[in-house]
Amino acid sequence: MTFFKRFLVLFICGTVQVFFATYLLLELLGVGLSWHLMNHDIMFIPGILVFLGSGYLTLSYYFLSDEASNNALYDEFTALRYYKLATAGYVINGVGIFILFSVQDWQNWSFELANNMIYQIAAFAWLIFGMLLVWFSIGDYRESKSG
Amino acid sequence: MGKSHEKLLNNLEELRKAANLTQQELSESAEVSRKSINAIENGVYVPSTVLALKIAKTLDCSVEEIFKLP
Repeated sequence: MTFFKRFLVLFICGTVQVFFATYLLLELLGVGLSWHLMNHDIMFIPGILVFLGSGYLTLSYYFLSDEASNNALYDEFTALRYYKLATAGYVINGVGIFILFSVQDWQNWSFELANNMIYQIAAFAWLIFGMLLVWFSIGDYRESKSG
Repeated sequence: MGKSHEKLLNNLEELRKAANLTQQELSESAEVSRKSINAIENGVYVPSTVLALKIAKTLDCSVEEIFKLP
């Protein structure tokens, strides 16, 4: 495993998640898109990518990399970057969920609207997770080259 | 003292160069990435006790010679 390979895995997983999550969130919020996904089975793609990507990272850590590579890839400075981004994720998700609660039609509340709100929250959290993956991957790789 | 963190001054760059080590060589010996050594030298990051001790061991000096409180 190298910094570049990790960048590729995380960047691809992140951008695919951002695309699908943004699409889903806009659909759920009723924003009229001029195009629609014809085959909704492809919504599984980001999940499969995360499953394969995390599996590859785990396998490479325990079986495919030497100790020196792991020391460099998973050191305390990288952990600090991860903690900072995770904290940012918590904050953005908190604010976002508050906003999603605020924009609901509480006057005409129904099970259908409640169901829709749950999907909106899930899509929003998914979007933030994808954005953080992209953010981490770019920052991590840039630092490995010139930081 | 080099470019230092507001809570921790450091001499790492001078001591590393005096020991004829590159950032990469020091990072391999201290078991971290090169960017961690760069971040410490530039005052971006305060290392853990374990990392500070590993760096001191590699440079054959005491932790206090590398790091000082402001």
